[in-house]
Amino acid sequence: MMKKAVELVLLLLLLFFTPHIMGKRYSPPGKPTLTRCRSPEKETFTCWWEPGSDGGLPTTHALYYRKESSERVYECPDYHTAGENSCFFNKNDTSIWVNYNITVVATNTLGSAFSDPVDVDVVYIVKPNPPEKQTVTIMEDKGWPFLRVSWEPPQKADTRSGWITLIYELRVKLEEENEWEMHLAGHQKTFNIFSLRSGGKYLVEVRCKPDHGFWSEWSSTSYIKVPDYFHREKSVWILLTIFSAFIFLILTWLLHMNSRSLKNCILPPVPGPKIKGFDNQLLKNGKSDEIFSALMVSNFPPTTSSNYEDLLVEYLEVYVPVEQELMQEESKDLHGGCLKCERSTSDSDSGRGSCDSHTLLMDKCGETKEEGRHTDRASSRMLTEAQRHQKGWEKDTLTYAHGDMVSPDMSNGRVKTWPSVFSPLPQYSSNPLDKQSSLEMAKQHCLSTSSCLTQPGHSTKEALGPSNWDFCLGNKQPHLLHPQTQVGRQLQAHSEVNISNIGRKQAPAGLQSPALRSTEYVEVQRVNEEDLVLLQPVVSGCGRIEGYPQMPKGKDYSKVKGVDSDNMLLLQREVMEEDWCPGVDQEINGGTGNCYTSSTVNTTQKPTACIHTAMPVQGDMALAMNGYVDTATMCTLPTC
Amino acid sequence: MPGNIRSVSFVVLVCLLFCSRLTSVGATPICTNAHAGCHVLSLSNLFDRVIQHSARMHGISNDLHSEFEQYFLPSRNQIGRVSRNCHTSTILTPNGKENAQKMAREELTEVILKLLVAWRDPLWHFHHSMAHYDDFNNFSSNKALEMSDMVHELRKGVEKVAEKMQVLGITSNTVNSLTSPEALLPSESAEWRLMKDYDLLYCFRRDSNKVQNYLKILKCRIVPEHGC
Repeated sequence: MMKKAVELVLLLLLLFFTPHIMGKRYSPPGKPTLTRCRSPEKETFTCWWEPGSDGGLPTTHALYYRKESSERVYECPDYHTAGENSCFFNKNDTSIWVNYNITVVATNTLGSAFSDPVDVDVVYIVKPNPPEKQTVTIMEDKGWPFLRVSWEPPQKADTRSGWITLIYELRVKLEEENEWEMHLAGHQKTFNIFSLRSGGKYLVEVRCKPDHGFWSEWSSTSYIKVPDYFHREKSVWILLTIFSAFIFLILTWLLHMNSRSLKNCILPPVPGPKIKGFDNQLLKNGKSDEIFSALMVSNFPPTTSSNYEDLLVEYLEVYVPVEQELMQEESKDLHGGCLKCERSTSDSDSGRGSCDSHTLLMDKCGETKEEGRHTDRASSRMLTEAQRHQKGWEKDTLTYAHGDMVSPDMSNGRVKTWPSVFSPLPQYSSNPLDKQSSLEMAKQHCLSTSSCLTQPGHSTKEALGPSNWDFCLGNKQPHLLHPQTQVGRQLQAHSEVNISNIGRKQAPAGLQSPALRSTEYVEVQRVNEEDLVLLQPVVSGCGRIEGYPQMPKGKDYSKVKGVDSDNMLLLQREVMEEDWCPGVDQEINGGTGNCYTSSTVNTTQKPTACIHTAMPVQGDMALAMNGYVDTATMCTLPTC
Repeated sequence: MPGNIRSVSFVVLVCLLFCSRLTSVGATPICTNAHAGCHVLSLSNLFDRVIQHSARMHGISNDLHSEFEQYFLPSRNQIGRVSRNCHTSTILTPNGKENAQKMAREELTEVILKLLVAWRDPLWHFHHSMAHYDDFNNFSSNKALEMSDMVHELRKGVEKVAEKMQVLGITSNTVNSLTSPEALLPSESAEWRLMKDYDLLYCFRRDSNKVQNYLKILKCRIVPEHGC
């Protein structure tokens, strides 16, 4: 008895403590929860629940429901069809528009737990299956493709009888994209998608929803690849791009080529001051005194005389003295004076000082000189005046000339104008040497410019007297033709005239008739050491008859042979006849009587009558002069 | 002054005449006799109109119900709601597809009409009782009014459809729904007065869904061309 009692107690204790020994605790099950109830076609429905903790013991679940307006409790007819923890209500058990009150109970040995009841009306828990038989095809609309998607409602949902009405929605995206493009299709079962990317791969999915219910899951994806139809368009774009790039390049190149002219057109350069003697550097330095002093022209405006002539180019009055001494003296003075004169009245910018001016020297020299020159002056004035006006040329010549007065003329088209010998003179220089050299320069310049033009008249050279200065004269007014060619067939170098004038002035009594004063012929005596051309009026026969326009019988040094490298005026004597005044050019040639050049250096002893040679003028003729001296090479004229 | 009064009264009379005319017409007149110049609507068209109407009605009722639920009933699962009973539960309505399909067209039409008739008065009263709720905004009140009007209109529409069907020979003349719908009402017509507003809305939401569904079934059975 005691034994049995003890066994019982032990057994009880074992039973009691076994769980403690085991370390486990049993409890009634936790509360389950109904997660959802869904009906796919509004004819059946399923409910799922989530069980709570089982309390360590095997737990069973049961679903109980009550229909509306009835107290009868039913249990779930099918726990297995829909899977675990589910309850499936078939058609017979499903009533629409009836409120179900569903409860799940979890039971284990220790207890049971009831879930919260849930009211379900099947009408509002419909979630259909996704649409079926989905097809996507590519169709074309006027050359542009589009997708046509078509599908069928889920099989279970009875839309044919009108029991369920479904609305559809589809979504599209490119394979490489992340976001879908949604389209609501309504009740229709087909849909068109436009604006496709050429060659793109599209994914299409469809889903449906009843009037009041839940959206179905997305259907299985349909893949479709759009054919490449953009080739045509792309190629057009490529061509267009290339073409436009080409045009752009051409425009750029054109712009670059014409950049300067365009720049000039758009932003024309501001002309800087081109004032003679204006030095920009001085201006930059800021010394106004120096600047303006350089600009100042002495004797400007002309104060002494407002004569018309005064404003014109001054001509060098070369005075041909009778006596050598006189010549020497006078020439110096004359040259100096005349140069001074010229300098004072001429300026580089005048442009007047061209060879075509008839008279080269202004009368100013005459004014400053002795009375003896008055006549000369007058004549020269007249001459200058005449020379000025080309049209009045004839008149003037008439006034001068007696008949055979030498008048400045252009014989037979040969322009015998004294080039602007004196205009290029450096008017601002005060160096006497410069003056003289400038005279040389001027002469050379004159020679150079007129060389070419002497050609046409060359043929008539014979007509001209040897007393003529055969200068290559200025070409600027070739049309200055003197009508009276018979009278003045001599070269009408202005220098001639002036030279003769000068010479005349110094001659004590040689100068007579006013008419004679107009033109005079000079003969080059010599060039002295100081580079002065000493001229001697041409005499006919053996006498010194100045001013007479005679056919020169004596030596005629009117021809300028040329200018040599030393800037020497090379004159050539022209021997027309045998007779020559022995005393004339004794000093010059030393008795050879050949045609020779006057300068101290080269002598070209060619007895030919009309040699008209020209020599290239050296390039360094332009000294410190303003650029009027023509440094162009002279033409080589053919010898006659 | 007397001249003015006379003219004003004349205008008023004319207006009254017109207004009465307008109110009596209501929807687009359907020419039963197919008079010349009268636009004859097809049955399919009629059905579509009616179905659309019922869908709208159901939508409104759904909105009102959810609003009510939000404002007045925070706790959904109350014990005791099971005892709710709609006043239209006496009307036998098919509760499944098979049942609905088994029902004859005439019966189905009758059921629809019964339902619509049964809800005319309750909804009218419901609309008036809306004014007592301060929390309800005017929009909901307008919805209630619209809802009651819709029931009225829908009933007329369904009657027209039944008439058309009879004319076309689809339905037999045995149905007397046209004569006096009021006769179909259950005897206990005052039951609905005991219902709370929320229950009323709940019941009406369900019934409007029924109406819509039955109409669709009818349509797909009779004129299945479009949308079935």
